[in-house]
Order: sequence, then structure tokens, then C-alpha cells
Amino acid sequence: MSASPALRSQLSGRNPADESAPVRIAVKGLNFYYGQFHGLKNVDLNFHDRQVTALIGPSGCGKSTLLRTFNRIYSLYPEQRAEGQILLDGQNVLDPKIDLNELRSRIGMVFQKPTPFPMSIYDNVAFGLRLYEKLPKSELDGRVEDSLRKAALWEEVKDKLKQSGMGLSGGQQQRLCIARSVAQRPEVILFDEPTSALDPISTGRIEELIEQLRAEFTIVIVTHNMQQAARISQFTAFMYLGEVIEFGPTTKIFMNPEKRQTQDYITGRFG
Amino acid sequence: MTALTQPIALARESRATRAGPSRGLDRLFRGAAYGSAILVLLVLVGILASIIWGGWPAFAEFGPGFVTSSAWNIGTEQYGALVAIIGTLASALIALVIGVPLSIGIAIYLTQLAPGWARKPVAMTIELLAAVPSIIYGMWGLFVFAPLFAQFVQTPVSNLVEGMPIVGTLFYARVPSGVGILTAGIILAIMIVPFVASITRDMLAQIPTVLRESAFGIGCTTWEVMRHVLIPQASVSIIGAIMLGLGRALGETMAVTFVIGNANRLSASIFDPGSTIASRIANEFNEADGMQLNALMALGCILFVITFVVLILARTLTRRVKIA
Repeated sequence: MSASPALRSQLSGRNPADESAPVRIAVKGLNFYYGQFHGLKNVDLNFHDRQVTALIGPSGCGKSTLLRTFNRIYSLYPEQRAEGQILLDGQNVLDPKIDLNELRSRIGMVFQKPTPFPMSIYDNVAFGLRLYEKLPKSELDGRVEDSLRKAALWEEVKDKLKQSGMGLSGGQQQRLCIARSVAQRPEVILFDEPTSALDPISTGRIEELIEQLRAEFTIVIVTHNMQQAARISQFTAFMYLGEVIEFGPTTKIFMNPEKRQTQDYITGRFG
Repeated sequence: MTALTQPIALARESRATRAGPSRGLDRLFRGAAYGSAILVLLVLVGILASIIWGGWPAFAEFGPGFVTSSAWNIGTEQYGALVAIIGTLASALIALVIGVPLSIGIAIYLTQLAPGWARKPVAMTIELLAAVPSIIYGMWGLFVFAPLFAQFVQTPVSNLVEGMPIVGTLFYARVPSGVGILTAGIILAIMIVPFVASITRDMLAQIPTVLRESAFGIGCTTWEVMRHVLIPQASVSIIGAIMLGLGRALGETMAVTFVIGNANRLSASIFDPGSTIASRIANEFNEADGMQLNALMALGCILFVITFVVLILARTLTRRVKIA
């Protein structure tokens, strides 16, 4: 009576959730407002180190909103505000005294659409690095190559590093953006529906990549594709109308959910 | 089968009869469209031809010396365009140097920094600047700006730099009257700001928000986001906007005629009066005849060539940026 056979098959043979992994991000009593609109209601959630946590739920449930509080990107818009605590390694991200630029260099973010910067492939990756570290050229080259390899893009671009990043295909651009994030050696990488603008083959590659990146980074991914959540995440949080309805290991959420709403959503009864 | 094809055949017939008269109308419509396009071309060719025709005697009389000579003597009928050409280029260049950073700053403020309530009033004010007739700028420049400029800028700066190398020449006013190349450049800068600023603002506003967010997302400051991501992203259109401003600055007549001083003198100081091609023509056309008229026509040709070169430059520049 739980997940459909198609979803069930996505779950088989994947890495189990490690519930003993230390907590990287602890969200406590988080409320979020768009002007008068109450977008997130008393969210409490833990994100474990080197695990992929998927945020799922119907459109408008607040999953992207939650993601956007971690690096405070919402604060570009003065009418948006957050209350509560988000502890990144014990430090409250919502503290007004925190250095936003430094915070954002510690938390990578990849968006719905690829966002290559108007510069060469090399500079796209090196740009974020140069902001915070003064490296000699040889070391910079090494870091760029390393990041492109981790983003599974090196073989495709190694002969055209000086060309514009805008000339790559959509899937390659998205991997370039991942390389850009990886280069800064962040603690956490946030993915906001990273494959929604990509074809199935590119999507598959990004998913493999996320699985590999888990070895080094804590990953949070917003997705409206439940099969994707089942394939790549260890933990899943189901959100609805600004609240976290249920959180737990992905296998449990999909196979044996506790809440009626979660079950309705994953069996496709609404959403 | 027959039940189906019959209505279709009927429909086809009635359509065919309807198509008759509209075909003639269509021909008329196409003809009118072609005609409009060709008319513009004819007008352009006509203007060009008549200016060349009118300016030809001056070119024939003075040869290449017309461009390189700084003489403009009505009594001895000696004419040269150098002073006006340099005045045109110098005042337009000053306008760009002052106006472009100002415009980009305004555009950045409006798209990135301004709180919601401030955006509309500021943007409206900028657009209103574009609606001010150039004669108003000229009058304001001559009667209000120039005296203040003479008193508070030209005089103290001249006293300060007197005797120094280079700056002592560049910023020295023999007669601090307030009018001159720099004054014209400043007035022109104010005039091109609304064009450059509003196009730049529109282009910056069109950049997808995810690009801006991802630049902030890797820890850039506002300056770094603008300098390395958003401005380069919009650079093609910004260059286009600058060229539009340059075109306007080169050809602007009335405001410049008021404040440039209308002197035919080659001076290394940007505080000194000079003249532009457009201001020279506006000043002298009324009473000109004979060789003087031919010389003015020839000046017009040169202005035409300069603006044409600017246009070509803009095209090649934008093309190069697109490839890079």
C-alpha cells in the first residue's frame, strides 16, 4: 500500500542512511516570511554529514524556501525574513553579525537552470577560488583541474579551457556550475532542482555526480521528482504547506511512511 | 466517401471565389510596404548626395588641407575643419567619460540597490531628463551653469595648476568665462545619461535572477557581482547604449552652441572655448553664401562620416564581444 513498484525499484541496492553521522546543519524553530505570507512554519530538521538529504513536496510547500535560508540568499530581497536558528557546525547562520560572503563561500549552491558566468571555462571555476584564496598559478591550475574532474567534466573541456562557458551544452554548463561550487571546498552543497532543465541523459550524469560528491560534502537537494529523491538520497524530508510533515531515512519514507499525507503524496494521490 | 468529399469540394469552391479580390489588395499592400522601405533609402541617398554636392567646391578648393587646416577666415575665404572636428570629438569624449560611469552607476542602483519605493521616482526622473528640450539645457548651461562653473571651478583650478607641466596647460583658463569644451562636455554628459542609463537598466533587469543569485551564492560582494558577472553579461547591450549616447553627443547642436564659446581657436586647454561641427553650422548657416556655404556643407559631410564610423565601430565591437 506504500510506494509504487516503479519507485520501489529505484530504492533497491542503494547506500543505506547513516543515522549516526554527525549533524552538519541543525534547523531549530525556523519561521520564514515573504512579507505577510508565512512561508515556513516551525521547521526543525537535522542534516547529517556526508549524506544526501532530499526535500520533497508539492509546489509551494516551502522546500526551496528552506534551502534558500541556509546560505541566506533570500536576504537579497528585503521583504523576506527568517526567524529561528540554523546551526552550521554550531554557528547560527541567521545571526545578523555573520559575514555573509564568507558564509556563502562555505555553502555551495546549484540552481534550477545552469548559470555559467560570462567568462572562460577556466575562469568560471577559478573565479570563486580567487575571491578567497591567493594561490600561485600552478596550484590554481591544479585546483581547477581537480574540481572539473570531480564534476565529471574534465575530459570534455580540458582542451578548451579558454573558451567561453556559455558555449557548453546545458548538462555541461550545470556540471561546470557544480565544479565552480566544488572548487571553493564548501562544507555543504545545496541543489535547487538541479536537473529540471536537463534531458534524461544529462540528468543521469548529474545524479551519479551527486552520489560521488557525497563522499566529501553534505548535500541537500530540492526535487519535485520523487524517483530522483529515491535514487540519490539517504534522507528525505516531506514538506507540505510550509511544514515538515515527516523526516527520516529515504527507504523508510518511501516504503513505510508514518503519516497519512506522506503516503498520499508518494503514492501520487496528490501533488 | 461521397458524403465526405462533397462538403469539402463546396468549401474549396467558395474559398476560391473569395480569394479573387483580396489578391489585388494584397499586391497593393506589398507594394506600399516596398515603397515605404525604398522611400527611406531614397531620402538618405538624397540627403547624402546634396550635402556632397554642396560641399564639393570646398573639398576641391582646399583638398585634404580642408581637414587638417585650422583656418576659418571669412574675409580671406580660407576654410579648414580641424578646430571643429577636434571640438566635436573632444566634447563627445568628455561627455562619455563623465556620462557613462554615471549612467552605469544609476542603472546598478536602480536594479540592485534601490529599495522598492525609490525605484519608480528615480527612474521617472531619469526619463524626464530625456524629455527636456536641448535648448533648455543650452540656456541653463549658459546662464546658470557657466557662471558658477567659472567662479567655483575654472578660476580656482586655473590658479592652482598655473605653471605646472601638462595639467597647467590642460586645465588652465586664460579667461575664466565658464564656457568652453569642458562645459559643453558636461552638458552633453547630462544629456546622454538618460539614454545610456535607461538602456543599461533594462538590460541589467533582463538578466535572469538565478545568475545574480549564483554570483552572490559563491560569496561575491555586490561590486564583484557587478564587475565580473552582470556587467560583462550585459556588455553587448551596454556598448550599444554607449554608442547611441556617443551618436547623440556628436550631433547635438543647440545646447552645445550655447555653451562651447564658438571660438575658432586650437587650444590644448579643455577650459578654453572652441566649436563643434554642429555648432559651427548652426552659427553661420544663416548668413553664409558662396565658398562659406560650401565649406559648411563640407563640414556636414565630415560629421556624417564621423557618425557613420561610430556606427560601424559599434557594430564590430558588439560582434567581437559576442564571440568572446
